[in-house]
Amino acid sequence: MRSRTARGFLTVALLAGAFGSAEAQDPRIGNRLDAPTRKALSALVDSARASGVPVEPLMEKVYQGLAMGADGPRIVVAVRKLTVEMANAQRVLGTVATTDELKAAASAVHAGVPAVELGKMKKQSGLRRSLTLPFTVLADIVSRGVPVQTAANAIRSLVGAGARDRDISEFQRNVQVDIEKGAQPQAAAETRVKGAVTTPSARPEKREQE
Amino acid sequence: MPDWSRTSLELIVQELQRPVRFDESFDRRVMVAVRRSYAERRPRGAAGWIGAAVHMTRRPAYAAALAAGVVAVVTVGMLRSRPETVAGNESIPVQFVLVAPEARSVTVVGDFNNWGLGDTALVAENHNGVWSVSAPVPAGVHRYAFLVNGKQWVADPTAPRAAGDDFGQPSSALVVEGSAE
Repeated sequence: MRSRTARGFLTVALLAGAFGSAEAQDPRIGNRLDAPTRKALSALVDSARASGVPVEPLMEKVYQGLAMGADGPRIVVAVRKLTVEMANAQRVLGTVATTDELKAAASAVHAGVPAVELGKMKKQSGLRRSLTLPFTVLADIVSRGVPVQTAANAIRSLVGAGARDRDISEFQRNVQVDIEKGAQPQAAAETRVKGAVTTPSARPEKREQE
Repeated sequence: MPDWSRTSLELIVQELQRPVRFDESFDRRVMVAVRRSYAERRPRGAAGWIGAAVHMTRRPAYAAALAAGVVAVVTVGMLRSRPETVAGNESIPVQFVLVAPEARSVTVVGDFNNWGLGDTALVAENHNGVWSVSAPVPAGVHRYAFLVNGKQWVADPTAPRAAGDDFGQPSSALVVEGSAE
């Protein structure tokens, strides 16, 4: 693991301009992107930074594209899409949302969840409750075929009942296993959420919040 | 007549020079305690730091020496823990596992290592096909995937899916909670 080195590169890239002059380039990007791609990505990152959207997830998307062998135009499309999704998420979650929450919310938006649904959850849960994991699970179950409204209702029920992250993770695992065993995604989510909101571990946190 | 002050000084120096071994969790425990103390006691703004420094100068010389020693110990702890600490976010050991009996190599690649292809290799103990690695991952949400034999991308079958396959390959999502949460 070289997370320190990697993050160091990322920081240097963000500060110096990852797609700028050759000497300021991120070593992981180097000459792997052509000039038009670098220019397009630079404009996207600058635009995101100007509008207050965290740029670190955008850089991570670039790294992912490079690692997976994507060509420049495809990386630009993916980064542009992520920028829009994060901006939408930020609009409904507000400035109190952390970068991780925005990243997870963008993932849910990418899966097809309307941003307004995420805003409702944030409003319902209060400012102090991080919704990073609930949004991540929401994106997961939607991508497994659970209808968007069913999935959103399920996560909102869990969050509203004071379910902790580990309860929501368990809900995700149960839904996943049920679907892999052949259950209808909607039925799996609707059934499992009933059990999850009535488990004892979900109750104390609700009392604390009240 | 023996020079007692010199003997005492030598004893102190000898004691201070004695190597001390800490267990592996020492750095982490120290940093958690330091951060907690910092969060609880730090006065807001630069004035608090300045005030603290002025207060120090009013102490006797031995207190200053003691404080310098404490700072040195804490600094050593911070320097030693830096590889597992990123921008104030504590890294948590996460075990990645993939069952791939036919694989010749498996690496885990993701946001936490900036998608460095060879940064985090899994090993299969006894070549039984169960590949694993325990790696420090900063708190936060991460997208990742396994790379099998250097060419095949595989999502973690035990983790939530990361929505979308922008690059035509599957990936997974990982949420790592900080220890303070």
